[in-house]
Amino acid sequence: MNIKKLLFVLAMLSIVIALGACSDTEDANTSEADDGEKVLKVAALESAYGKEMWHQIAESYEALNDGVKVELTIEKNLEQVIRPKMQAGEFPDVLLLATNRPEAMTETMIKANGLEKINDVFEMTIPGEDQTVNEKLLEGFTDTLATNPYADGDTYLAPMFYSPTGLFNNAGLFKGKGWEVPTTWDEMWKLGEKAKEEGIALFTYPTTGYFDTFVGSLMYAVGGSDFFNAAMQYEDGIWETKEAEKVLKTIEKLAEYTHPNTVANANPKDFTKNQQLILNNEALFMPNGTWVVGEMKEAPRADNFEWGITAIPAFEEGGDRYAFTFFEQMWIPAKAENKETAKDFIAYMYSDEAAQIFLDSGAVQPIKGLTDKLEGQKQTFYSIYEDESVLPAMGTFASTKPVPGANISDVLYGQIDSVMSGELTYKDWQASIEEVSDRLRSAMK
Amino acid sequence: MYLSKTKARNIFIGVCITPAILLFVIFMVIPTIDVFRMSLYSWGGFSNQKQFVGFDNFKFLWNDMDFIQSFQNSILLIVIVALVTLVVAVFFAAILTKERIIGGNFFRVIFYIPNILSIVVIAGIFSAVYAPSNGLLNSVFAVLNLDFWQQKWLGNQQIVIYSVAGALVWQAIGYYMVMYMSSMASIPASYYEAASLEGASPFRQFFDITLPLIWNNIRTTLTFYIISTVNLSFLLVTAMTGGGPDGSTEVFLSYMYEQAYGNSTYGYGMAIGVVVFLFSFALAAIISHITKRDVLEY
Repeated sequence: MNIKKLLFVLAMLSIVIALGACSDTEDANTSEADDGEKVLKVAALESAYGKEMWHQIAESYEALNDGVKVELTIEKNLEQVIRPKMQAGEFPDVLLLATNRPEAMTETMIKANGLEKINDVFEMTIPGEDQTVNEKLLEGFTDTLATNPYADGDTYLAPMFYSPTGLFNNAGLFKGKGWEVPTTWDEMWKLGEKAKEEGIALFTYPTTGYFDTFVGSLMYAVGGSDFFNAAMQYEDGIWETKEAEKVLKTIEKLAEYTHPNTVANANPKDFTKNQQLILNNEALFMPNGTWVVGEMKEAPRADNFEWGITAIPAFEEGGDRYAFTFFEQMWIPAKAENKETAKDFIAYMYSDEAAQIFLDSGAVQPIKGLTDKLEGQKQTFYSIYEDESVLPAMGTFASTKPVPGANISDVLYGQIDSVMSGELTYKDWQASIEEVSDRLRSAMK
Repeated sequence: MYLSKTKARNIFIGVCITPAILLFVIFMVIPTIDVFRMSLYSWGGFSNQKQFVGFDNFKFLWNDMDFIQSFQNSILLIVIVALVTLVVAVFFAAILTKERIIGGNFFRVIFYIPNILSIVVIAGIFSAVYAPSNGLLNSVFAVLNLDFWQQKWLGNQQIVIYSVAGALVWQAIGYYMVMYMSSMASIPASYYEAASLEGASPFRQFFDITLPLIWNNIRTTLTFYIISTVNLSFLLVTAMTGGGPDGSTEVFLSYMYEQAYGNSTYGYGMAIGVVVFLFSFALAAIISHITKRDVLEY
């Protein structure tokens, strides 16, 4: 054997050994535990509500279902943890991972037709109870593009924890100053001038991502659900209409009243500095959700500080005001192994038992009567829709095939930093939104 | 079986290096080739539906203004960071090597510390330095009555990329300074003594003795600058500005990441990766070529 052949044999041998060492001796995709139990793999984002509630949910579901073991993956960086496994073909059975996250894993799965249709879940009787999921769910939560991403009547994502969003403020400051919370944009601008005289900015925002619900509320207020849905489905010329122009011009005018440090702090690391402006009475309003209370609970604050929330102002006296409802979603990958158990698990999420476990951790689901159990500040926030002039708004952009370089969130919300710093006029902003909208329309399924 | 000395030696070498070559091929060569392959597909990252699109992803790149902006930002960072770091690191290395400065060792340690800090810590430090109202930089300008120099360092789109560059330079200087110091320390003192006797000024000595004799070291580090700046700028931008405001600090690796994961266009992201790879390779080769000088030995 000459030296070249010998080296070749050695190389091949090493490859075999290396590959053997890399392979897992156990079947990674096994869905049965050693004792014959069925294993349900549940992956959920660890959000402000913590992870303990998921362990309690797993225990309570296992107690109700003999022979099922819930295997949890609860991580703050969930996408980074499960992405490699999913790319290797090992999918969890159920995921709690909302849309509009920077890593956009849910959107990627939607675009790849990677979600299981779950229409039947809503007709299922909730395990341990005698009502169906539909009977307990609040109306409207399964009628939007956030749950039916292809706008074809089929539901792929189940609504989970929800939060009314709106303009958060220091109610104590308003009481102290004797100022009224504005209900129209005209009143808003007047208050802006009044506050400016006292060195207080009218507005700030954590990052431009928080405009998703703010812009949505403006769109509902200016043109109702028809206009909103047309924009969400990239209708031709929709961003060139007078309604769209009004929305964009309002934000451009808001720039005059926005705290000057806002853009500098509007990044993933410093956004709490903008939120701090509200607690320090340096700015009056910011768009946010109820999670901000927990997020800023350790932060210093002005005397008599008290969280307040109001809907986005109306465009005219007596007009409709909207408070967008943000909610997280739960879904089943099309490649999940235990789809039936996964559907049963999702149905269980709407049981009184599960809802109470979530509620104890601060997470509120869209279940009838649940808000009656809320207390104090949380009750105030969730009762925002009890004001007759305030309506709920929901929804998101329709799914499209992936289009390189075209991201509607980047152009519609991301460019707001440039509008705020005066780098971009609303006209140029409008043109770029319409251009991306055109590209995405042609990629709609 | 009898093996000659040469054969036995070759077998020994083969046995020793084969695992290393295999690891290199499995974990470096094959993934790199796979990036090139994936750049020819339209793929979201999860499904089995990979559509072969040839060079379409590269054609998109050509007209993608956001990519072009990120490319410009990357080049700007590479040039600024390389030039400023090089000049400042050589300057301080020369001072600390040649001059007897009180607390010289202390300064060496202080300069080197940023290099051992995590890039996330550096992002945090510089966010505090650049804070608009109570940040160190604006406060210093206020104390010096230079209010007109105060800026929104991370909010002004015209200057934010230079703010990021400042943090990168601060992080890199110590490391390169130590490298140059070790080169300078090995230059025989007799060269300087002879030059001094012939009346050469310290300035002249630096340009005629020090710089030519550490030139090879500078060449090597310049190539290293490029590679490390490409990677570090991505990490720093992600941690410090998230690419904002409005994409003004986006660099090509952060844009690649956003396209691959945030925009569900994995194939397009890989096409950006290919361009970055070729660009870095070409730039390193060009710099290596234009900085080539005759090697001076001592």
